[in-house]
Amino acid sequence: MSSKKHAEVLKAADGLSKKSDISLVDVLTLAETSIRSMKSFVDTLDSAVYKEFREIAEYIQNTKTEIGHLQANDMRSKHIPEAGLELSAVISSTEDATTKIMECAETVLDADSSDSEAYQQLVNDNMMLIFEACSFQDLTGQRISKVDETLEYIDERISRFAAAIGAKDTKAPVSAKEKKRQKRKKDQILNGPAHEGEGVSQDDIDALLNA
Amino acid sequence: MAIDLSMPVLVVDDYKTMIRIIRNLLKQLGFSDVDDAADGTEALTKMHQRKYGLVISDWNMEPMTGYELLKEVRTDEGLARTAFIMVTAESKTENVIAAKKAGVNNYIVKPFNAATLKSKIDAVFGE
Repeated sequence: MSSKKHAEVLKAADGLSKKSDISLVDVLTLAETSIRSMKSFVDTLDSAVYKEFREIAEYIQNTKTEIGHLQANDMRSKHIPEAGLELSAVISSTEDATTKIMECAETVLDADSSDSEAYQQLVNDNMMLIFEACSFQDLTGQRISKVDETLEYIDERISRFAAAIGAKDTKAPVSAKEKKRQKRKKDQILNGPAHEGEGVSQDDIDALLNA
Repeated sequence: MAIDLSMPVLVVDDYKTMIRIIRNLLKQLGFSDVDDAADGTEALTKMHQRKYGLVISDWNMEPMTGYELLKEVRTDEGLARTAFIMVTAESKTENVIAAKKAGVNNYIVKPFNAATLKSKIDAVFGE
């Protein structure tokens, strides 16, 4: 309330207090003066609250838009299952190729070499089959590239979403299944294959065992 | 003392391809009696049914790992003296130390070759 308005109210109240006979009209006049003097304050308050709500609404709208941009349903129903199928195909094609190559090697190892001409032919035929089996590498390379693209697609969207909402990393709740998996990994010391340059070499292992 | 190439060998791995590779390598080394199991539980069952001279086991298998199998074997009076070689992609120092503590006879890191397998089998049997 401004000091001018404040003074008006005080003046009206003072005038009223000096009167020995206060009518209802006097009281209403004082109330009207008080309300008029507070109007601008209430108007300011209204505008501030409105601004806050408008900002919250805009934030919610932006978050909804960013969630939409995440295309989470598309990720879950299309990209992730497709990546899973590609990886399964990689596993099965490498297994098929390895089996074919081993079959060829076993055929050559078990072959009768007494007839050198027939043996030479058998070795040549099996070497050709091994070359053919090795063509899996090209296909698995392409499949893994597709999985890589999917990971980039997910990474790009999640990174943008995190930046848009100003997300900070917090400790995430861990499911019972995940807890069980982590416990087994720890108890059974399951680290998986090491990357190149990591882990210990066969020579280091021998030294550790002989120490 | 020469290695008894007729002794039964048990290969434990959840990948059929790896079993086949090790079987072929053992065959090339002269072993004639090679059996296999897909995980520790199956291996333990087979070991209670038949006496094996050597167990060659992977580490990471479901439901029973090779590490658990090794510990079970070493605590079982009837099986405790079976030669046990771990063949695994687990190549962290903590894995080797844990396996040594559990009583492994030798440890081969994947990928490996026939010469490594032969040298470790020779070392286990004091060749």
